[in-house]
Amino acid sequence: MKLIPDKDILLFRSCLVSVEYPGVESSTKFVFDKLGIDYAISEKQTCCTGLGHYSDVFNQIDTSAIGARNFKIAKDIGRPNLVMMCATCYAINKKSVKLLNKKDDLRNHINQLFEENGLEHLKYEKDDLLPSENIFHVVDILYGKISEIPKHIKYDLSEYKIASHHGCHYCKVHYEDTIAGFRDPNIIDELIGACGCKTIGWYDHKRATCGTGFRQRYSNPDLSFTATADKMNALDDEEVEIVVHLCPNCHIQFDRYQPLISKREGREFEAIHLNIAQFIAIAMGGDFDKVIGVKAHTTPIDSVIKELKEVEQ
Amino acid sequence: MRDDLKVGVFLCECGGNISDIIDLDEVRASLDVEFVGQFENLCSLNGRKIIRDAIFDHDLDRVVVAACSPISHEKTFQDYVKPLNPYLMDMANIREQCSWVHSDKAKATHKAITLINASIEKVKQSDAVDPIYCQTPDEVAVIGGGIAGMNAALSLAKQGTKVTLIEQSPSIGGHMAKIGKVFSPVKIAEECGMCLLNPILNELVWNENIEVLTNSKVIEAERRAGTYNLIVEKSPRYVDTERCIACGKCKEVCEVEVPDDWNDGLSTRKAIYRPFGQSYPESYVIDMDNCTKCSSCVKVCNMRAIKLRGRPERIPLQVGSIIVATGHKLFDMEKRPEYGYNRYNDVITQSELGRITGVNGPTKGKLLKSNGEVPKRVVMIQCVGSRDEKPDGHRYCSKICCTVALKNANIIKHKNPDTDVVICYTDVRTPGMFEKYYKHTQENEVRFIRGRPGEVVKKGDSFIVRTEDTLKGEFIEIEADMVVLSTAMEPSDGTREIAEILNIGTTEDGFIKESHPKIKPVATDVQGIFVCGTAHDPKDITESIMQAIASASKVSEYNYGGVEIEPFIAEIDKDKCILCGDCISRCKYKSMSIQNDEVYIDPMACTGCGKCLVGCGQKAIHVNGNIDEKILATIKGVLSNKNDDERMILVFLDNIGYTAADNIGVNRLSYPESIHIIKVISVNRVRPNHIKYALENGADGVFIGEFPGDLMYDEVERKVDRIKETLIELNENPEQIMFSKVYIPYFTGLARKLTDFDKKIEELNL
Repeated sequence: MKLIPDKDILLFRSCLVSVEYPGVESSTKFVFDKLGIDYAISEKQTCCTGLGHYSDVFNQIDTSAIGARNFKIAKDIGRPNLVMMCATCYAINKKSVKLLNKKDDLRNHINQLFEENGLEHLKYEKDDLLPSENIFHVVDILYGKISEIPKHIKYDLSEYKIASHHGCHYCKVHYEDTIAGFRDPNIIDELIGACGCKTIGWYDHKRATCGTGFRQRYSNPDLSFTATADKMNALDDEEVEIVVHLCPNCHIQFDRYQPLISKREGREFEAIHLNIAQFIAIAMGGDFDKVIGVKAHTTPIDSVIKELKEVEQ
Repeated sequence: MRDDLKVGVFLCECGGNISDIIDLDEVRASLDVEFVGQFENLCSLNGRKIIRDAIFDHDLDRVVVAACSPISHEKTFQDYVKPLNPYLMDMANIREQCSWVHSDKAKATHKAITLINASIEKVKQSDAVDPIYCQTPDEVAVIGGGIAGMNAALSLAKQGTKVTLIEQSPSIGGHMAKIGKVFSPVKIAEECGMCLLNPILNELVWNENIEVLTNSKVIEAERRAGTYNLIVEKSPRYVDTERCIACGKCKEVCEVEVPDDWNDGLSTRKAIYRPFGQSYPESYVIDMDNCTKCSSCVKVCNMRAIKLRGRPERIPLQVGSIIVATGHKLFDMEKRPEYGYNRYNDVITQSELGRITGVNGPTKGKLLKSNGEVPKRVVMIQCVGSRDEKPDGHRYCSKICCTVALKNANIIKHKNPDTDVVICYTDVRTPGMFEKYYKHTQENEVRFIRGRPGEVVKKGDSFIVRTEDTLKGEFIEIEADMVVLSTAMEPSDGTREIAEILNIGTTEDGFIKESHPKIKPVATDVQGIFVCGTAHDPKDITESIMQAIASASKVSEYNYGGVEIEPFIAEIDKDKCILCGDCISRCKYKSMSIQNDEVYIDPMACTGCGKCLVGCGQKAIHVNGNIDEKILATIKGVLSNKNDDERMILVFLDNIGYTAADNIGVNRLSYPESIHIIKVISVNRVRPNHIKYALENGADGVFIGEFPGDLMYDEVERKVDRIKETLIELNENPEQIMFSKVYIPYFTGLARKLTDFDKKIEELNL
């Protein structure tokens, strides 16, 4: 397996995490701290443009220029390893690094734009960052420490029926870097395994999209929610109680819209939705309010996790 | 000394092909040699007498034939100059590379004179050398005992050649033995595969020229002057094939039951077993990985054939040629979890369906699901792992799966007319007569849906196959109770291993590469090694057999004809050599080795590239034939005739590039008259000094072309880069040199590149 860093990390903040589920960020930090991962956050970092990019607001040049700016910030503070909480940021940044390294005309064009606007210090040199060596998702970093995770587990969540939902932009865009399977993605399942729990594994529509499709949710809601409903029905057929995500986009689609889809399908869906960092943070004893941020969730976490059982020593 | 040599030049009119464009009178008048002759068709048998008489009458030491390309007639004229040594003749190519590519008569004539002068200078540097004839041993190793290997072995054996057939598994027969039914496109009917295989198997077993080694693998190979020394490891069978009468008593008492791989794991067998009913050798075998060594079988065997102890045996084998027939394997279904092969018993492969419908299979030929019921609807999914651009998939078409699906669909329909069969396909590929079989299948009410299913899921007792019907543009769900996957063919592990052991080229997909499918079919990149069957690429039984027989025929050509090798290869001065071994590691063609305390150069492997020369600290190596001097003389000869206003570009090409350049002429395309092509045995032999000399003495540009498949390609590219750097240091323009890929088929590209380079040089000169 490729080398996964545990230091010199810039934890790349995500718009959706900050606005919708701040508990994902606090849980990531909580778990990173437990595992001794060296990371920092930069106030200078901006949005990756992902939502705008996939809604045709930002073109690839703007997106790569903003990428170049964020990469420079990471390098300047000696943290060249960008680690994303959001699958969209992950795929967008990886693509930008690939393009900036490979396409001389694009890189020159962006550098010229920087120069014309007095931003010479943001100029990107070929191979400043490398797509596989510097761009990661939080799950990659956690996977790098998978053998350490069991040592910090405080609570036993193995009684629950758990399923994973892997974000498309983690599994299906940059196949070469996806860990633990892209046709049958399993990185979340393996991380849950490290917490002493077992997921249901394969289920119908396991590999399918959450349905968000960026602007599709708004411009084409029927198609978007049909995809979500297919998946929710399949999860409910398996009586799943906890669905674990790695992308805030999927998280929103499932958690925020679960009541709406319940109504649409005439079937009461009751699963709760957690990010993998939140799941591990709960198992490691993170505070539900301060770390997990349960108040931001639409489907109440305590509707399923009513009490915690300590791991038997 | 060499300047005093008497040279005769023979000009060929080539029936007007040359003389219509080139003014041969002017050429004749310009040449300063001992003898000049001109003839209408020099290659005709009259030419032999004309040339020989002139050699005698004028006491000629060297001959230049100004005619067509040496690729066409070098061998002819080497023969016509007898009693002169064949290598004291050189050809000036004034047809393909002059009269056929230029239309301006004056310029073409001037260029012809230049080319002939270059040949005169070159031939003066030639020495008499003898071609090397190699005769290889007649014995042949055929690796792989499937239908291809068996046919190749049999064909050779019937021609009197001794063959060793090496098979890794306990029986020969290969995939065909388990395939169930086969069909040929001319017959709209399926036939018993085993009944067709058995006669071949029997014939092979009884042929005295064939030795069959089962449970055996080639683990080492070494090549010496066209002889392959193979080490074959034969694993113990634990049952003496001489004593065993295959009575089967041992099997009765064995208590170990394991999945039977011959039935694709659909049934079980014992730890002592016979692979299948007609397996050869006709003997049982013990699967030691699963044997508990309880000795029950030993006690019950009246023939005392069983010995529970045994060791692998190493058998050395010396052969002159090898046929690789190591076959294929099927796509690993773990890579397509969406089809549920590992989750559901009734999602099976076409190979497993072949076993289920085979009368010697686990259900004795009855089409049954795992619960013993007859399926109501079977859905077949085509292109599983083939034509698949996703990671882990193969971009190629596996070629046989369409017809295999049709065959199995028909077999189902014959046995169970009420079972619905639906084939989900990408495209139905049934070329030639197979199309009739496709129509026949449609008439049998097999249904076809164009679309590649996304997934197979289990709902209740049945499966849902989700696909897009791409002809209707609709998403559909097909209910089924049996799903059959048409899995891709990929190189077997044995194919990959043997390619590495024998150091033969493979394709990007890992199949054994043919040297050239048109001019060198079934030959691999290594002389004396041939390939046939699915080790080469996906193909059906009929094609495998044809290719097997082709490879046997190529071996016979090789055995009867021997191999003539150009003598321009490296030679070691044994007095100077200190056996440091540096040259051995430098040689990319692996032609060198130490034998009996001397460096030995395999004449069949050495290309005369000269890489070993440069690194030899003792200066103990030289390449026969004065190559350096000949290249320099050619350059001098070309430049000596240069006019003041003439642009002169030298193009260095080896045999491949030169053939491409000839093709420009053959196809009557053109390039500028400034282009002067110099043929070299290896582009690597063009040294920095040659280029430096050329540029300092009138050459305006140097173009070096190399075939990217040549092992020296990277080396030559680096060398040209270094020369360019030197030019920069000397304040010269590195653009005067161009390095380019050349391919025989892309002669149009070469013509364009030469034209562009001429234009560039013209601009540089302004």
